[in-house]
Amino acid sequence: MMDITGWSAVSPYGVGAASFAAGVRSRRPAAAEPDPAGVPGAEVCRVPGFDPRTALGGKGTRAMNRVTGLAVTAVGALAAARPEPDAALVLGTTSGSVQSMMDFTRASLTGERPFDVEPSAVPGAVMNCAAGFSAIRYGLTGPNTTIAGGRAAGLLGLAYARRLLAAGRAATVLCGAAEECSAARSWLEHHARSGAPARLGEGAGVLRLEPPGAPGALARVLAVHSALDTGVAEVRRRALAAAGVPAAAEVPDVAALIGDTGAVSAVFQIAAALATGGGTSGRTVVVTAADPAGMTAAAVLELRPGHRPGEHDHHGRLVGAP
Amino acid sequence: MPASPALTTPGPHARRRRVVVTGLGVLSGIGTGAAGFAAALRAGRSAARPLTAFDTTGYAHATGCPVTGFEPDRRLRRVPPGDLGRAAQFAAAAGRMAAADAGLAEADLRAVRCQVSIGTTDGGSHELDGLTAAELAGGPAGLDPAAVRRVPAPGLSAAVARELGLTDVEATTIGTACSAGNHAIGDGLDAIRSGDADIALCGGADAVCRKTFTAFYRLGTVAPDQCRPFDAGRRGILPGEGAGVLVLESRDAALARGARVYAEVLGYGLNCDARHPVAPDQDGVARCMELALHDAGVAPGDVDLISAHGTGTKANDVTEARAIRAVYGPEPPRTVGLKSMLGHTMGAASALAAAACALAITHRFVPPTINHRGTDPACEIDCVPNTAVEADLRVVQNNGMAFGGNNAVVLFGRHEAAS
Repeated sequence: MMDITGWSAVSPYGVGAASFAAGVRSRRPAAAEPDPAGVPGAEVCRVPGFDPRTALGGKGTRAMNRVTGLAVTAVGALAAARPEPDAALVLGTTSGSVQSMMDFTRASLTGERPFDVEPSAVPGAVMNCAAGFSAIRYGLTGPNTTIAGGRAAGLLGLAYARRLLAAGRAATVLCGAAEECSAARSWLEHHARSGAPARLGEGAGVLRLEPPGAPGALARVLAVHSALDTGVAEVRRRALAAAGVPAAAEVPDVAALIGDTGAVSAVFQIAAALATGGGTSGRTVVVTAADPAGMTAAAVLELRPGHRPGEHDHHGRLVGAP
Repeated sequence: MPASPALTTPGPHARRRRVVVTGLGVLSGIGTGAAGFAAALRAGRSAARPLTAFDTTGYAHATGCPVTGFEPDRRLRRVPPGDLGRAAQFAAAAGRMAAADAGLAEADLRAVRCQVSIGTTDGGSHELDGLTAAELAGGPAGLDPAAVRRVPAPGLSAAVARELGLTDVEATTIGTACSAGNHAIGDGLDAIRSGDADIALCGGADAVCRKTFTAFYRLGTVAPDQCRPFDAGRRGILPGEGAGVLVLESRDAALARGARVYAEVLGYGLNCDARHPVAPDQDGVARCMELALHDAGVAPGDVDLISAHGTGTKANDVTEARAIRAVYGPEPPRTVGLKSMLGHTMGAASALAAAACALAITHRFVPPTINHRGTDPACEIDCVPNTAVEADLRVVQNNGMAFGGNNAVVLFGRHEAAS
């Protein structure tokens, strides 16, 4: 068990937990546009106006790719609000930035010489770039782990984070995920789903996790369970059994509002539960995830009695946001 | 000399389950399987040869450490090799090999909760390189869907689990670049210690690819001929490939089923330098070793051998040697660079090195640092040059460092059946 004591979101609703909370509470679909990559039948929901240099300033962002910018922004919302240098960072992804990777290889294939590539582009073409840059920017010297779990990454990350906390490897874990919209991702996902229509989203979401009993807890993670080649219903059943609760409310699907956000999708589902209080049907909620690679996962959360979703504190910040 | 008094006290979880290594699956440029790998390590074999995984025209040199003669059709029983990228094929083959080496049938594995943690730097990047070339030739609309489905990194851990028919399993792919193998083994350790799983199959896998070869080449860190860790004349890495998977289980379970035990996993540490995107930081690396020693309840003086990250680059080796001396004082344990034999196998590197540590403990020898001509005075360690030596090893440390400042260190100990 562990408690969620804060969360942040950079989503197709905009930068910040408040815009995400307002969007999911009103069930207002985020703006979608035809995929600029020209993928047939595809739309994208991008984080409006987001650019790493605009969001984070010029220092250290010259060669920063989009997914790293999204991650650093979301991590920063929690890390800057309550600095904890020993905090762990567990960040989910699918395969990193496939755009940066393909751009790098393309430069090698088309340059006058095969090594005519930008040295500054090297880190962005490696999967752990977003987690590493987030640590550098906020001085996070604790465990730093990238979980390549695709749409299950958020929940596989929760299981990993729970072990870090239980083993005493960190007192706080910032646990989230990031995914970018790009032409490369659009085309790869188009082919992977055999050309079916789709709406892709992007963003980053981070949860602050602490051992149970932390002050100001918004929710308690009662159980996390995952499996392979196993139906979501069965994984949900096992998670509920592990949590010792007979039933829990489903969190309404966020993908219908902001598109398929890949590795962030389960984190955004949890954020939606925190923002809405689980809807009208209960304070124990279950979040599920399934990735095409075969992983399915479920997490059971108990929203804390003291948590009044949607309420704003005297700074005008949403309760639950940093 | 201990760097911190805390190192001499037992780790924080004296009552947690003890964890042992009971199976090894190895695919490498120098040998396959536990026995073949052990023989190659003892002989000081080199995997260096010209790379053929991609068109190397235009590079002044393209020596690497590939796996040769790999036949996925013969290695894989359940998963069609065509469904997998090369790294996932390596991972699945090593996983199957590790389970067999542990004496565990599929039914044994399916009877318990399993953890699969596979570290990788590149996931399906070799396949993505191929798609990039295909896109240049024919545009993005004509890409082969089957090839596209071989790219995503989550497929590596899924391949290991699926090859063994596992469904009641947490299958996680860890993408912390070149220390990912140690991250995965550490996660497996915690999964067994905590009771989250009864069996862990953990390690790392990667395949040589143009993208990563070019990245290291452009940074001036690919050696022209040989990898020479800690040598005054070292000129960089040789990109390599392969997979290493360890079977971990609780000591009690292993003894109850009469399993052969290679070594005990005493503990691990992980941290982040949080300083530089690609350059290692001495203080961060030293701190990671201290965390591992503390977790294991081991004093620095108890460590008999260090398997270094030892890439053979100017920056890594001097930084790592200084970090070792900061923790171990002026007379550190013997410190070997296995990448001299294996090349830098990226996400597989610390997993293959972990397998080597377990074999070194079992077979009582120190694998050498080959290609060695003269130790860099700035490194100041005994790297056991060129020839293996017999040694009674009680505790062995395995270092892993990565881009992003992601450090992970695992400690292995001799398992005394009677203790």
